[in-house]
Amino acid sequence: MSQGLALAGRSEGATGRTIPAWWLIFKQEAVEMWAGGRVLRFLALYAVLMSVTAYLLATNNDLKLVTMKASVVVAVTSTITFGLFIGLVIGAESISGERERATLEPLLLTPSGHGQIVLGKFLAALSPWPAAFLLSVPYVVTLSHRDPVMWLALFWGAVLGSLLAIAFVGFGLLVSIWSDSSKISLFVCLLVYAGLLIPAQLPTEFLNSPGGVAVSAVDPLESASRLLTMVVDEGRPLSQAWVYIVAPTVMTAVIIGTLFFYSARRVRLTAE
Amino acid sequence: MNDVPDPRANGSTEILAAEDLRKTYGDRTALKGLTFSLNAGRVLGFLGPNGAGKTTSIRILTTILRPTSGRFTVDGISSDHPEAIRRRIGVLPEGLGFPKQMTAFGYLTYFTQLYGRPVGEARRVATVLLEDVGLQNRAHSSIGSFSHGMRQRLGIARALVNDPAVVFLDEPTLGLDPRGQRELLRLVQRIAKERNKGVVLCSHLLSEIEGVCDDVVIMNAGSVVARGSVAEVVGATRPELDHVVRIRVPVASIARTQELLEVFPGVEGDVRSEDSTGWLDVKLHAANGSGPDESRVRNDLLESLIRADVPVLGFDVGGGRLEDVFLRLTAEAIR
Repeated sequence: MSQGLALAGRSEGATGRTIPAWWLIFKQEAVEMWAGGRVLRFLALYAVLMSVTAYLLATNNDLKLVTMKASVVVAVTSTITFGLFIGLVIGAESISGERERATLEPLLLTPSGHGQIVLGKFLAALSPWPAAFLLSVPYVVTLSHRDPVMWLALFWGAVLGSLLAIAFVGFGLLVSIWSDSSKISLFVCLLVYAGLLIPAQLPTEFLNSPGGVAVSAVDPLESASRLLTMVVDEGRPLSQAWVYIVAPTVMTAVIIGTLFFYSARRVRLTAE
Repeated sequence: MNDVPDPRANGSTEILAAEDLRKTYGDRTALKGLTFSLNAGRVLGFLGPNGAGKTTSIRILTTILRPTSGRFTVDGISSDHPEAIRRRIGVLPEGLGFPKQMTAFGYLTYFTQLYGRPVGEARRVATVLLEDVGLQNRAHSSIGSFSHGMRQRLGIARALVNDPAVVFLDEPTLGLDPRGQRELLRLVQRIAKERNKGVVLCSHLLSEIEGVCDDVVIMNAGSVVARGSVAEVVGATRPELDHVVRIRVPVASIARTQELLEVFPGVEGDVRSEDSTGWLDVKLHAANGSGPDESRVRNDLLESLIRADVPVLGFDVGGGRLEDVFLRLTAEAIR
C-alpha cells in the first residue's frame, strides 16, 4: 500500500500531450449530456414539434393557403425557434446546476482558469444545435419540393440559427453564473425567451407599421424571421434586408463579450 | 507580499502558514485573525462549533474565497498566486457531489488531466490512487452505485491526483458508519506519514481527531481560541479542568458507587451520574491541589472501588481529553 502511495506521486519526467482544460470540460459535459440521454430527449421532442409543423405546412400548402416558399420560411424559423430553446435550457442549467449538485467546487479548485471552464460548458451546451439543424433538413427539403430555394433557406437558417444559438447559449450561461438555483435561472431564461416570441404574435398590420418594423429590428428572433421572409420568400436582395441581421449580431456580440470578458472571471462557488 | 519568508528557504518543513487572516461580510466578521502553521507529515485538526469560521478559513486557504486582510503561503507560494496554490493543494469539500454516470476511473482520469497531466499518466495515477483508497475492484463501476463511504474515499483520491503538498479534508467522516470512519481516518494518517503531506482535517468527531491529529486549531466565533500540538493544547487547559474524575460503572451499580464515593476523603459534594450511560462525575477537593497529591487521591479512589468489588468500566481524568478542552473553550458559543 505504501508503495502505491509513493507511486501516485508526481512524475517529473512525464511525457505526452496535455489537453487544454476547456476541451476536457467540453468533452466531459458533452458525453454526459448526449450519453446520459438529456440531449436525445430534447431532440426527440424537437423532432415531434418539427413533424407537426411540417405536416400543418404541407397541408396548408396543398390547400393553397400558403405558398411553398412561405412554408419553407416557417419551417426554417421553427427550426431556429425550437433549436435555440434546447441550448438555452442547457446553458441555463450548466453552472447553477453544478452548484446545486455540489460538483462545481472541485472544478474551481483545479488550476484551470474560470474562462476555460465556461468555454468548455459553453461549447457543450452549443453542441445540440448542429444536430437540431441537421434534423430539420429533411423537413425543409420535403416542403420545398427540392426547389433551389431550399439551399437559400438552409444557408440563411444555418447562419442566423448559429448566430442566435451562440447568443442564447451564452445568455443561459450568463444567467446561470449569477444564480444559485437552476429553477431561477431556467425561469429567467424562459421568461426572456417568451418575451422575444411576443412580436411574432402581434397583428401583421402592426408589424408593418414603423413601430412594428422597429420592434422587429430590435427583437433578434423576429429579425431572423423577417430576414428569412424577405430573402427567401420575397426573393429580395440582402441589401434590402441587412437591417434585420443587426439585432442577432449585436445581441450575440454583447452576450459573448459579457460572458467571456466579464462574467467568466467571476464564477464563484455561490452566486454573488 | 514579498516580505513573506519562503519557509523552505531555511530548510524548514513548514508547508502551510497563515498570518492574521480576516474575513468580513458587510458588518459581520466571519474570521478575526487566523494565524497558524503546519509542517509536512503532520495532521492538523481544525475544530470549532458550527459558525466558528472553519469553513470560511478552509475556503480562504483553498483560494475559493479571498481574505479581507492577512496572508498565507502554501508550500512557499504566496496567497497572491491562487492558481499556483491550487496546483499544490488537494481538497475534499464537505458534501462534495459526484457525476453519477461517470466511473471512478474516468472521474480520477478526468481530474488528473485537468491538472495538466497527459492522458497516459492520468490513467496510471487513477489506477494507483484507486488502489490506495481500496476501490480498485470498483474502478469501472459508475459512481452512482457507490455507497457514501466509497464516495468519500473517491473524493480523497481526487484530492490527491495532483500530488498536493497540503490536503484539506472538510468533515470527511460525516455520515460514515464506525468502520468507515476508522478506515478513512487511517487513510488520512497514511497520507500524512507515508506521503509526507500536510493534512488539515475539519471534523466534529473529537475523539477521533484526537487519535489522528498531531496539531490542533480550535476556533470559536471566528477567533482562534487554542492552537498547538494536541498535547500542548490539552496540557495548557488541563489545570482548569483538573479535580474532576469520570468513572463508568454498570447502571445497576450507580447508587452503590455514589454512596461509596460521597464518603471518600477528598471527594467534594455530591457525585453526579448519567443514569443511561453509567458515567459518574466526581469532583475532588481543590485543596488537594494538583500534581502528585491529586494523583494519589485518584489512585486511592480507584483502589477503594476495586476493593469494594465495584466493576469499573471506565476511568477518565477530567481535562485529559481534547473533548473536555473543546467544550470548555467553546462553551460560550454553545451557551
